[in-house]
Amino acid sequence: MSNEVKSDLKYTDSHEWIKIKGKTAKVGITDHAQSELTDIVFVELPEVGKEIKKGEEICIVESVKSVTEIYAPISGKITNVNKKLEESPEIINESPYDEGWLIEIEISNNSEINDLLDSDSYKKII
Amino acid sequence: MVKRSPLFNLQKTLGARFTEFAGFEMPIQYSSIKEEHLTVRKTVGIFDVSHMSNVWITGPGAEKLISLTTLEDASKIENNKSQYTAILREDGTVIDDTIFMHLEDKYMMIPNAGADEIVTNWLNEKAKEHNIDALAENVSDDYVILAIQGPKSRDAIQKLTKTDIKTVGFFGCQYINLAGVDCIISHTGYTGELGFELQITPPKKAEDVFKKILEAGKDYGIRPIGLGARDTLRLEKGFILAGNEFKGGRTPLEAVMSYFINWDHDFIGKDELLKQKEKGDYERLTSMICIEKGIPRQDCEIKKDGKKIGVVTSGTMSPCLNSGIAMGYVHPDYREKESIVEIMIRDKSVKAKVVRPPIVPKDWASQN
Repeated sequence: MSNEVKSDLKYTDSHEWIKIKGKTAKVGITDHAQSELTDIVFVELPEVGKEIKKGEEICIVESVKSVTEIYAPISGKITNVNKKLEESPEIINESPYDEGWLIEIEISNNSEINDLLDSDSYKKII
Repeated sequence: MVKRSPLFNLQKTLGARFTEFAGFEMPIQYSSIKEEHLTVRKTVGIFDVSHMSNVWITGPGAEKLISLTTLEDASKIENNKSQYTAILREDGTVIDDTIFMHLEDKYMMIPNAGADEIVTNWLNEKAKEHNIDALAENVSDDYVILAIQGPKSRDAIQKLTKTDIKTVGFFGCQYINLAGVDCIISHTGYTGELGFELQITPPKKAEDVFKKILEAGKDYGIRPIGLGARDTLRLEKGFILAGNEFKGGRTPLEAVMSYFINWDHDFIGKDELLKQKEKGDYERLTSMICIEKGIPRQDCEIKKDGKKIGVVTSGTMSPCLNSGIAMGYVHPDYREKESIVEIMIRDKSVKAKVVRPPIVPKDWASQN
Protein backbone atom coordinates (compact mmCIF):
# COMPACT_ATOMS: atom_id res chain seq x y z
CA MET A 1 0.00 0.00 0.00
CA SER A 2 1.51 3.32 -0.91
CA ASN A 3 0.30 6.60 0.57
CA GLU A 4 2.61 9.45 -0.40
CA VAL A 5 1.15 12.93 0.13
CA LYS A 6 2.94 15.98 -1.27
CA SER A 7 2.98 19.11 0.84
CA ASP A 8 2.84 21.56 -2.08
CA LEU A 9 -0.48 20.24 -3.41
CA LYS A 10 -4.16 20.71 -2.53
CA TYR A 11 -6.51 17.75 -2.18
CA THR A 12 -10.15 16.65 -2.15
CA ASP A 13 -11.78 14.03 0.05
CA SER A 14 -12.47 12.06 -3.15
CA HIS A 15 -8.68 11.63 -3.60
CA GLU A 16 -7.91 14.12 -6.36
CA TRP A 17 -4.84 16.35 -6.07
CA ILE A 18 -4.68 19.91 -7.41
CA LYS A 19 -1.59 21.93 -8.25
CA ILE A 20 -2.39 25.62 -8.57
CA LYS A 21 -0.18 27.83 -10.69
CA GLY A 22 -1.61 31.29 -11.39
CA LYS A 23 -5.04 30.74 -13.00
CA THR A 24 -4.36 27.10 -13.86
CA ALA A 25 -5.20 24.03 -11.78
CA LYS A 26 -3.54 20.76 -12.75
CA VAL A 27 -5.52 17.75 -11.51
CA GLY A 28 -4.68 14.11 -10.91
CA ILE A 29 -5.44 11.30 -8.50
CA THR A 30 -3.42 10.74 -5.35
CA ASP A 31 -0.90 8.01 -4.66
CA HIS A 32 -3.38 6.54 -2.19
CA ALA A 33 -6.08 6.45 -4.90
CA GLN A 34 -3.89 4.76 -7.52
CA SER A 35 -2.75 2.24 -4.93
CA GLU A 36 -6.35 1.44 -3.98
CA LEU A 37 -7.40 1.13 -7.63
CA THR A 38 -4.33 -0.98 -8.57
CA ASP A 39 -3.56 -1.68 -12.25
CA ILE A 40 -5.15 1.17 -14.19
CA VAL A 41 -5.99 -0.09 -17.66
CA PHE A 42 -8.20 2.60 -19.19
CA VAL A 43 -8.74 6.34 -18.86
CA GLU A 44 -11.52 8.33 -20.48
CA LEU A 45 -10.64 12.02 -20.70
CA PRO A 46 -12.93 15.00 -21.32
CA GLU A 47 -12.71 17.32 -24.33
CA VAL A 48 -10.49 20.38 -24.19
CA GLY A 49 -12.57 23.55 -24.06
CA LYS A 50 -15.37 22.04 -22.01
CA GLU A 51 -16.74 24.21 -19.17
CA ILE A 52 -17.07 22.24 -15.95
CA LYS A 53 -18.57 22.87 -12.55
CA LYS A 54 -17.00 21.76 -9.29
CA GLY A 55 -18.23 18.26 -8.40
CA GLU A 56 -19.07 17.25 -11.97
CA GLU A 57 -17.74 13.98 -13.37
CA ILE A 58 -14.76 14.81 -15.59
CA CYS A 59 -12.87 11.54 -16.18
CA ILE A 60 -13.29 7.81 -15.86
CA VAL A 61 -10.42 5.70 -14.57
CA GLU A 62 -10.78 1.95 -14.91
CA SER A 63 -8.80 -0.86 -13.34
CA VAL A 64 -9.25 -4.47 -14.41
CA LYS A 65 -12.17 -4.90 -12.03
CA SER A 66 -13.49 -1.42 -11.32
CA VAL A 67 -14.78 1.77 -12.90
CA THR A 68 -14.09 4.99 -10.96
CA GLU A 69 -15.45 8.46 -11.70
CA ILE A 70 -13.17 11.42 -11.13
CA TYR A 71 -14.88 14.69 -10.13
CA ALA A 72 -13.89 18.26 -10.90
CA PRO A 73 -12.29 19.70 -7.75
CA ILE A 74 -12.85 23.20 -9.03
CA SER A 75 -14.98 25.01 -11.67
CA GLY A 76 -13.53 26.30 -14.91
CA LYS A 77 -12.63 25.47 -18.48
CA ILE A 78 -10.59 22.42 -19.44
CA THR A 79 -7.50 23.72 -21.22
CA ASN A 80 -5.41 20.55 -21.50
CA VAL A 81 -5.71 16.79 -21.05
CA ASN A 82 -2.94 14.22 -20.63
CA LYS A 83 -3.26 12.42 -23.99
CA LYS A 84 -0.42 10.05 -23.04
CA LEU A 85 -2.83 8.27 -20.69
CA GLU A 86 -4.93 7.06 -23.61
CA GLU A 87 -2.08 4.84 -24.77
CA SER A 88 -0.41 4.22 -21.40
CA PRO A 89 -2.91 4.48 -18.53
CA GLU A 90 -0.47 2.67 -16.23
CA ILE A 91 1.51 5.93 -15.99
CA ILE A 92 -0.98 6.93 -13.26
CA ASN A 93 0.20 3.97 -11.15
CA GLU A 94 3.85 4.71 -11.83
CA SER A 95 3.79 8.48 -11.38
CA PRO A 96 0.49 9.72 -9.91
CA TYR A 97 1.76 13.23 -9.02
CA ASP A 98 3.85 13.91 -12.09
CA GLU A 99 3.61 12.07 -15.43
CA GLY A 100 0.18 10.71 -14.50
CA TRP A 101 -1.72 14.01 -14.27
CA LEU A 102 -5.20 14.01 -15.83
CA ILE A 103 -6.34 17.50 -16.85
CA GLU A 104 -5.65 21.21 -16.56
CA ILE A 105 -8.43 23.63 -15.69
CA GLU A 106 -8.53 27.39 -16.12
CA ILE A 107 -9.98 28.40 -12.76
CA SER A 108 -13.19 30.43 -13.03
CA ASN A 109 -13.89 30.93 -9.34
CA ASN A 110 -10.87 31.56 -7.13
CA SER A 111 -12.87 31.33 -3.91
CA GLU A 112 -13.32 27.57 -4.49
CA ILE A 113 -9.61 27.12 -3.80
CA ASN A 114 -10.36 27.76 -0.14
CA ASP A 115 -12.57 24.66 -0.02
CA LEU A 116 -9.70 22.35 -0.98
CA LEU A 117 -7.80 20.36 1.65
CA ASP A 118 -4.17 20.98 2.49
CA SER A 119 -1.77 18.05 2.75
CA ASP A 120 -2.13 17.70 6.52
CA SER A 121 -5.93 17.53 6.31
CA TYR A 122 -5.74 15.00 3.48
CA LYS A 123 -3.30 12.79 5.42
CA LYS A 124 -5.89 12.53 8.19
CA ILE A 125 -8.51 10.98 5.91
CA ILE A 126 -6.37 8.30 4.28
CA MET B 1 -22.72 -13.50 8.24
CA VAL B 2 -19.79 -13.23 5.85
CA LYS B 3 -17.70 -16.39 5.89
CA ARG B 4 -13.94 -16.48 5.80
CA SER B 5 -11.67 -19.15 4.41
CA PRO B 6 -9.60 -21.06 6.99
CA LEU B 7 -6.64 -19.62 5.06
CA PHE B 8 -7.64 -15.99 5.74
CA ASN B 9 -4.77 -15.22 8.12
CA LEU B 10 -2.15 -16.80 5.88
CA GLN B 11 -3.51 -14.84 2.92
CA LYS B 12 -3.33 -11.65 4.91
CA THR B 13 0.34 -12.22 5.66
CA LEU B 14 0.88 -12.88 1.94
CA GLY B 15 -0.43 -9.39 1.20
CA ALA B 16 -3.94 -10.23 0.02
CA ARG B 17 -6.60 -7.58 -0.42
CA PHE B 18 -10.02 -9.00 0.24
CA THR B 19 -13.43 -8.69 -1.36
CA GLU B 20 -16.83 -10.13 -0.59
CA PHE B 21 -18.03 -12.66 -3.11
CA ALA B 22 -21.19 -14.75 -2.69
CA GLY B 23 -21.07 -14.41 1.09
CA PHE B 24 -17.34 -15.05 1.44
CA GLU B 25 -14.51 -12.69 2.20
CA MET B 26 -11.87 -13.89 -0.25
CA PRO B 27 -8.61 -12.48 -1.66
CA ILE B 28 -9.30 -10.42 -4.78
CA GLN B 29 -5.61 -9.92 -5.45
CA TYR B 30 -2.21 -10.16 -3.79
CA SER B 31 0.05 -8.09 -6.03
CA SER B 32 -1.66 -7.09 -9.25
CA ILE B 33 -4.44 -8.79 -11.19
CA LYS B 34 -2.47 -8.43 -14.42
CA GLU B 35 0.70 -9.95 -12.97
CA GLU B 36 -1.20 -12.77 -11.29
CA HIS B 37 -3.08 -13.46 -14.52
CA LEU B 38 0.09 -13.68 -16.60
CA THR B 39 1.78 -15.85 -13.97
CA VAL B 40 -0.95 -18.48 -14.42
CA ARG B 41 -0.75 -18.28 -18.21
CA LYS B 42 3.05 -18.61 -18.21
CA THR B 43 4.04 -20.67 -15.15
CA VAL B 44 1.88 -21.56 -12.15
CA GLY B 45 -0.37 -20.01 -9.54
CA ILE B 46 -2.25 -21.28 -6.49
CA PHE B 47 -5.82 -20.25 -5.67
CA ASP B 48 -7.90 -20.78 -2.57
CA VAL B 49 -11.39 -21.48 -3.90
CA SER B 50 -12.96 -22.58 -0.64
CA HIS B 51 -15.96 -20.40 -1.40
CA MET B 52 -17.01 -23.10 -3.85
CA SER B 53 -19.35 -25.72 -2.37
CA ASN B 54 -18.95 -29.42 -1.60
CA VAL B 55 -21.87 -31.83 -1.62
CA TRP B 56 -21.53 -35.60 -1.14
CA ILE B 57 -24.13 -37.67 -2.96
CA THR B 58 -24.36 -41.16 -1.51
CA GLY B 59 -26.61 -44.20 -1.46
CA PRO B 60 -27.54 -46.89 -3.99
CA GLY B 61 -29.49 -44.35 -6.05
CA ALA B 62 -26.73 -41.70 -6.24
CA GLU B 63 -26.03 -42.30 -9.94
CA LYS B 64 -29.74 -42.21 -10.74
CA LEU B 65 -30.24 -38.97 -8.83
CA ILE B 66 -27.42 -37.22 -10.69
CA SER B 67 -28.73 -38.43 -14.03
CA LEU B 68 -32.22 -37.15 -13.19
CA THR B 69 -31.05 -33.74 -12.03
CA THR B 70 -28.22 -32.92 -14.46
CA LEU B 71 -27.53 -32.79 -18.21
CA GLU B 72 -25.30 -35.84 -17.83
CA ASP B 73 -26.08 -39.54 -17.76
CA ALA B 74 -24.00 -40.38 -14.70
CA SER B 75 -23.80 -44.07 -15.66
CA LYS B 76 -21.45 -43.00 -18.48
CA ILE B 77 -19.01 -41.40 -16.04
CA GLU B 78 -16.58 -44.06 -14.86
CA ASN B 79 -15.01 -44.28 -11.44
CA ASN B 80 -12.24 -41.68 -11.01
CA LYS B 81 -13.70 -39.42 -13.68
CA SER B 82 -15.34 -36.05 -13.20
CA GLN B 83 -17.82 -34.24 -15.39
CA TYR B 84 -18.89 -30.63 -15.93
CA THR B 85 -22.66 -30.29 -16.11
CA ALA B 86 -25.65 -28.18 -15.05
CA ILE B 87 -28.71 -28.64 -12.84
CA LEU B 88 -31.96 -27.35 -14.36
CA ARG B 89 -35.37 -26.30 -13.16
CA GLU B 90 -38.40 -27.88 -14.82
CA ASP B 91 -38.58 -24.85 -17.15
CA GLY B 92 -35.10 -25.63 -18.51
CA THR B 93 -33.30 -22.71 -16.85
CA VAL B 94 -30.08 -23.36 -14.97
CA ILE B 95 -30.05 -23.53 -11.16
CA ASP B 96 -26.29 -24.00 -11.13
CA ASP B 97 -23.44 -25.35 -13.21
CA THR B 98 -21.24 -27.80 -11.43
CA ILE B 99 -18.66 -30.55 -11.61
CA PHE B 100 -19.31 -33.95 -10.09
CA MET B 101 -16.60 -36.48 -9.31
CA HIS B 102 -17.18 -40.22 -9.33
CA LEU B 103 -15.24 -41.57 -6.35
CA GLU B 104 -15.92 -45.28 -5.92
CA ASP B 105 -19.44 -45.72 -4.53
CA LYS B 106 -20.19 -42.02 -4.10
CA TYR B 107 -20.07 -38.71 -5.86
CA MET B 108 -18.80 -35.34 -4.81
CA MET B 109 -20.47 -32.38 -6.44
CA ILE B 110 -18.89 -28.89 -6.50
CA PRO B 111 -21.70 -26.32 -6.82
CA ASN B 112 -20.87 -22.63 -7.04
CA ALA B 113 -20.20 -20.36 -4.08
CA GLY B 114 -23.41 -19.77 -2.17
CA ALA B 115 -25.32 -22.46 -4.10
CA ASP B 116 -24.67 -25.20 -1.53
CA GLU B 117 -28.03 -25.08 0.24
CA ILE B 118 -30.08 -24.58 -2.92
CA VAL B 119 -28.43 -27.52 -4.68
CA THR B 120 -28.48 -29.84 -1.67
CA ASN B 121 -32.15 -29.15 -0.99
CA TRP B 122 -33.05 -29.53 -4.66
CA LEU B 123 -31.30 -32.91 -4.91
CA ASN B 124 -32.94 -34.23 -1.74
CA GLU B 125 -36.39 -32.98 -2.83
CA LYS B 126 -36.04 -34.67 -6.21
CA ALA B 127 -34.80 -37.90 -4.62
CA LYS B 128 -37.93 -37.92 -2.47
CA GLU B 129 -40.30 -37.04 -5.34
CA HIS B 130 -38.89 -39.78 -7.56
CA ASN B 131 -38.38 -42.39 -4.82
CA ILE B 132 -34.64 -42.54 -5.33
CA ASP B 133 -32.58 -43.97 -2.48
CA ALA B 134 -29.86 -41.32 -2.34
CA LEU B 135 -28.77 -38.57 -0.01
CA ALA B 136 -27.17 -35.20 -0.75
CA GLU B 137 -25.15 -33.83 2.13
CA ASN B 138 -23.79 -30.29 2.23
CA VAL B 139 -20.21 -30.60 3.50
CA SER B 140 -18.95 -27.23 2.21
CA ASP B 141 -17.68 -26.14 5.61
CA ASP B 142 -15.63 -29.33 5.94
CA TYR B 143 -13.47 -28.72 2.87
CA VAL B 144 -10.86 -26.29 1.65
CA ILE B 145 -10.44 -26.28 -2.13
CA LEU B 146 -7.10 -25.31 -3.65
CA ALA B 147 -6.56 -24.86 -7.37
CA ILE B 148 -3.05 -25.11 -8.81
CA GLN B 149 -3.13 -23.83 -12.36
CA GLY B 150 -0.67 -23.10 -15.12
CA PRO B 151 1.76 -24.91 -17.42
CA LYS B 152 4.07 -25.71 -14.47
CA SER B 153 1.31 -26.83 -12.09
CA ARG B 154 1.99 -30.52 -12.58
CA ASP B 155 5.74 -30.15 -12.07
CA ALA B 156 5.17 -28.15 -8.89
CA ILE B 157 2.82 -30.55 -7.13
CA GLN B 158 4.63 -33.66 -8.39
CA LYS B 159 7.37 -32.81 -5.89
CA LEU B 160 4.88 -33.33 -3.06
CA THR B 161 3.54 -36.80 -3.87
CA LYS B 162 4.66 -40.32 -4.74
CA THR B 163 1.70 -40.74 -7.11
CA ASP B 164 2.63 -40.08 -10.74
CA ILE B 165 0.38 -37.10 -11.46
CA LYS B 166 0.59 -37.82 -15.19
CA THR B 167 -1.70 -40.78 -14.48
CA VAL B 168 -4.45 -38.35 -13.45
CA GLY B 169 -5.88 -37.67 -16.91
CA PHE B 170 -7.93 -34.67 -18.02
CA PHE B 171 -11.03 -34.57 -15.82
CA GLY B 172 -9.66 -37.51 -13.85
CA CYS B 173 -10.11 -37.53 -10.07
CA GLN B 174 -8.85 -39.75 -7.28
CA TYR B 175 -7.75 -39.96 -3.68
CA ILE B 176 -4.13 -38.99 -3.23
CA ASN B 177 -1.59 -38.29 -0.50
CA LEU B 178 -0.06 -34.92 -1.32
CA ALA B 179 2.07 -32.75 0.94
CA GLY B 180 1.49 -35.35 3.62
CA VAL B 181 -2.28 -35.02 3.52
CA ASP B 182 -4.91 -37.44 2.20
CA CYS B 183 -7.12 -35.49 -0.15
CA ILE B 184 -8.93 -35.64 -3.48
CA ILE B 185 -7.16 -34.44 -6.62
CA SER B 186 -8.84 -33.68 -9.93
CA HIS B 187 -7.35 -32.60 -13.24
CA THR B 188 -9.77 -29.69 -13.55
CA GLY B 189 -9.77 -25.92 -13.34
CA TYR B 190 -11.22 -22.61 -14.44
CA THR B 191 -8.28 -21.02 -16.22
CA GLY B 192 -7.96 -22.94 -19.49
CA GLU B 193 -4.43 -23.98 -18.50
CA LEU B 194 -3.06 -27.29 -17.30
CA GLY B 195 -4.30 -27.46 -13.74
CA PHE B 196 -5.41 -29.43 -10.72
CA GLU B 197 -7.80 -28.96 -7.84
CA LEU B 198 -7.50 -30.40 -4.35
CA GLN B 199 -10.32 -31.09 -1.90
CA ILE B 200 -8.84 -31.01 1.59
CA THR B 201 -10.51 -32.07 4.81
CA PRO B 202 -10.45 -31.16 7.65
CA PRO B 203 -9.89 -27.48 6.74
CA LYS B 204 -7.12 -27.00 9.31
CA LYS B 205 -4.82 -29.21 7.21
CA ALA B 206 -5.01 -26.84 4.25
CA GLU B 207 -2.68 -24.10 5.45
CA ASP B 208 0.29 -26.44 5.53
CA VAL B 209 -0.56 -27.78 2.05
CA PHE B 210 -0.85 -24.23 0.69
CA LYS B 211 2.56 -23.33 2.12
CA LYS B 212 4.20 -26.51 0.82
CA ILE B 213 2.85 -25.89 -2.68
CA LEU B 214 4.16 -22.31 -2.62
CA GLU B 215 7.56 -23.73 -1.63
CA ALA B 216 7.45 -26.49 -4.27
CA GLY B 217 6.58 -23.96 -6.97
CA LYS B 218 9.20 -21.42 -5.95
CA ASP B 219 11.58 -22.31 -8.78
CA TYR B 220 8.79 -21.68 -11.30
CA GLY B 221 7.88 -18.30 -9.80
CA ILE B 222 4.60 -19.51 -8.30
CA ARG B 223 2.31 -16.83 -6.88
CA PRO B 224 -0.87 -16.92 -4.84
CA ILE B 225 -3.71 -15.75 -7.09
CA GLY B 226 -6.88 -13.88 -6.13
CA LEU B 227 -10.41 -13.93 -7.46
CA GLY B 228 -9.69 -10.94 -9.72
CA ALA B 229 -7.35 -12.93 -11.94
CA ARG B 230 -9.57 -16.00 -11.60
CA ASP B 231 -12.30 -13.97 -13.30
CA THR B 232 -10.12 -12.55 -16.09
CA LEU B 233 -8.56 -15.99 -16.72
CA ARG B 234 -11.93 -17.69 -17.12
CA LEU B 235 -13.37 -14.91 -19.26
CA GLU B 236 -10.47 -15.11 -21.72
CA LYS B 237 -11.42 -18.77 -22.21
CA GLY B 238 -15.15 -18.13 -22.51
CA PHE B 239 -15.97 -20.05 -19.32
CA ILE B 240 -19.28 -19.29 -17.66
CA LEU B 241 -19.59 -17.60 -14.26
CA ALA B 242 -22.98 -18.73 -12.92
CA GLY B 243 -23.82 -15.48 -11.11
CA ASN B 244 -23.25 -13.51 -14.33
CA GLU B 245 -24.17 -15.77 -17.23
CA PHE B 246 -27.19 -17.52 -15.68
CA LYS B 247 -28.58 -14.40 -14.01
CA GLY B 248 -32.27 -13.94 -14.67
CA GLY B 249 -32.75 -17.53 -15.86
CA ARG B 250 -30.93 -18.92 -18.89
CA THR B 251 -31.04 -22.38 -20.42
CA PRO B 252 -27.96 -24.45 -21.34
CA LEU B 253 -28.89 -23.98 -25.02
CA GLU B 254 -28.74 -20.20 -24.59
CA ALA B 255 -25.45 -20.60 -22.71
CA VAL B 256 -24.11 -22.65 -25.68
CA MET B 257 -23.53 -25.74 -23.53
CA SER B 258 -24.93 -28.16 -26.14
CA TYR B 259 -21.72 -30.18 -25.93
CA PHE B 260 -22.59 -31.02 -22.32
CA ILE B 261 -26.19 -32.04 -22.94
CA ASN B 262 -26.60 -35.80 -23.06
CA TRP B 263 -29.94 -36.10 -24.90
CA ASP B 264 -30.00 -39.90 -24.56
CA HIS B 265 -31.33 -39.82 -21.02
CA ASP B 266 -34.24 -38.22 -19.22
CA PHE B 267 -33.54 -35.28 -16.96
CA ILE B 268 -35.45 -32.47 -15.33
CA GLY B 269 -35.86 -29.61 -17.81
CA LYS B 270 -35.31 -31.77 -20.92
CA ASP B 271 -38.83 -31.25 -22.36
CA GLU B 272 -38.46 -27.48 -22.30
CA LEU B 273 -34.99 -27.68 -23.84
CA LEU B 274 -36.34 -29.80 -26.69
CA LYS B 275 -39.05 -27.22 -27.34
CA GLN B 276 -36.53 -24.39 -27.34
CA LYS B 277 -34.18 -26.30 -29.63
CA GLU B 278 -37.06 -26.89 -32.06
CA LYS B 279 -37.95 -23.19 -32.13
CA GLY B 280 -34.31 -22.19 -32.47
CA ASP B 281 -34.79 -18.43 -32.15
CA TYR B 282 -33.21 -18.01 -28.72
CA GLU B 283 -30.37 -15.65 -27.81
CA ARG B 284 -26.98 -17.30 -27.48
CA LEU B 285 -23.98 -16.57 -25.32
CA THR B 286 -21.41 -14.89 -27.54
CA SER B 287 -17.78 -13.89 -27.07
CA MET B 288 -16.47 -10.57 -28.33
CA ILE B 289 -13.15 -8.69 -28.58
CA CYS B 290 -13.22 -4.89 -28.73
CA ILE B 291 -11.49 -3.46 -31.78
CA GLU B 292 -11.79 0.07 -30.38
CA LYS B 293 -10.70 1.38 -26.98
CA GLY B 294 -13.03 0.65 -24.08
CA ILE B 295 -13.81 -1.96 -21.47
CA PRO B 296 -17.24 -3.59 -21.65
CA ARG B 297 -18.91 -4.28 -18.30
CA GLN B 298 -21.93 -6.29 -17.17
CA ASP B 299 -25.27 -4.95 -18.49
CA CYS B 300 -23.77 -2.90 -21.36
CA GLU B 301 -26.12 -3.07 -24.36
CA ILE B 302 -24.96 -4.74 -27.57
CA LYS B 303 -26.19 -3.09 -30.76
CA LYS B 304 -26.06 -3.54 -34.51
CA ASP B 305 -26.82 -0.53 -36.71
CA GLY B 306 -28.27 1.22 -33.69
CA LYS B 307 -30.67 -1.63 -32.85
CA LYS B 308 -30.35 -3.54 -29.58
CA ILE B 309 -29.35 -7.15 -30.25
CA GLY B 310 -28.10 -8.25 -26.84
CA VAL B 311 -26.55 -7.51 -23.48
CA VAL B 312 -23.14 -8.06 -21.90
CA THR B 313 -23.05 -10.51 -18.98
CA SER B 314 -19.28 -10.35 -18.29
CA GLY B 315 -16.63 -7.93 -19.50
CA THR B 316 -13.09 -6.95 -18.64
CA MET B 317 -9.77 -5.80 -19.99
CA SER B 318 -7.95 -8.90 -21.20
CA PRO B 319 -4.49 -8.95 -19.62
CA CYS B 320 -3.21 -11.17 -22.47
CA LEU B 321 -4.68 -9.21 -25.38
CA ASN B 322 -4.67 -5.76 -23.78
CA SER B 323 -8.13 -5.15 -25.27
CA GLY B 324 -11.61 -5.11 -23.88
CA ILE B 325 -13.32 -8.51 -24.07
CA ALA B 326 -16.87 -9.55 -23.28
CA MET B 327 -19.44 -12.29 -23.19
CA GLY B 328 -23.09 -11.61 -23.63
CA TYR B 329 -26.37 -12.92 -24.95
CA VAL B 330 -26.90 -11.98 -28.60
CA HIS B 331 -29.79 -12.49 -31.00
CA PRO B 332 -29.04 -15.53 -33.21
CA ASP B 333 -29.00 -13.48 -36.44
CA TYR B 334 -26.12 -11.26 -35.32
CA ARG B 335 -23.48 -13.58 -33.90
CA GLU B 336 -21.73 -14.86 -36.98
CA LYS B 337 -17.98 -15.26 -36.45
CA GLU B 338 -16.00 -12.12 -37.35
CA SER B 339 -19.09 -9.93 -37.56
CA ILE B 340 -18.85 -6.49 -36.00
CA VAL B 341 -21.20 -5.34 -33.25
CA GLU B 342 -21.31 -2.20 -31.10
CA ILE B 343 -21.07 -2.34 -27.32
CA MET B 344 -22.53 0.69 -25.54
CA ILE B 345 -20.12 1.83 -22.83
CA ARG B 346 -21.38 4.97 -21.01
CA ASP B 347 -23.34 6.18 -24.08
CA LYS B 348 -20.35 5.66 -26.38
CA SER B 349 -20.40 2.95 -28.98
CA VAL B 350 -17.31 0.73 -29.02
CA LYS B 351 -16.91 -1.67 -31.94
CA ALA B 352 -16.28 -5.32 -31.13
CA LYS B 353 -15.68 -8.42 -33.19
CA VAL B 354 -17.62 -11.63 -32.58
CA VAL B 355 -15.32 -14.57 -31.92
CA ARG B 356 -15.73 -18.18 -30.89
CA PRO B 357 -14.24 -19.12 -27.52
CA PRO B 358 -11.59 -19.41 -26.32
CA ILE B 359 -11.05 -15.65 -26.77
CA VAL B 360 -7.36 -16.21 -25.94
CA PRO B 361 -6.02 -19.32 -27.70
CA LYS B 362 -4.42 -22.26 -25.93
CA ASP B 363 -0.90 -21.54 -27.21
CA TRP B 364 -0.94 -17.86 -26.24
CA ALA B 365 1.87 -18.14 -23.65
CA SER B 366 4.26 -19.95 -25.96
CA GLN B 367 3.84 -17.22 -28.57
CA ASN B 368 4.14 -14.25 -26.23
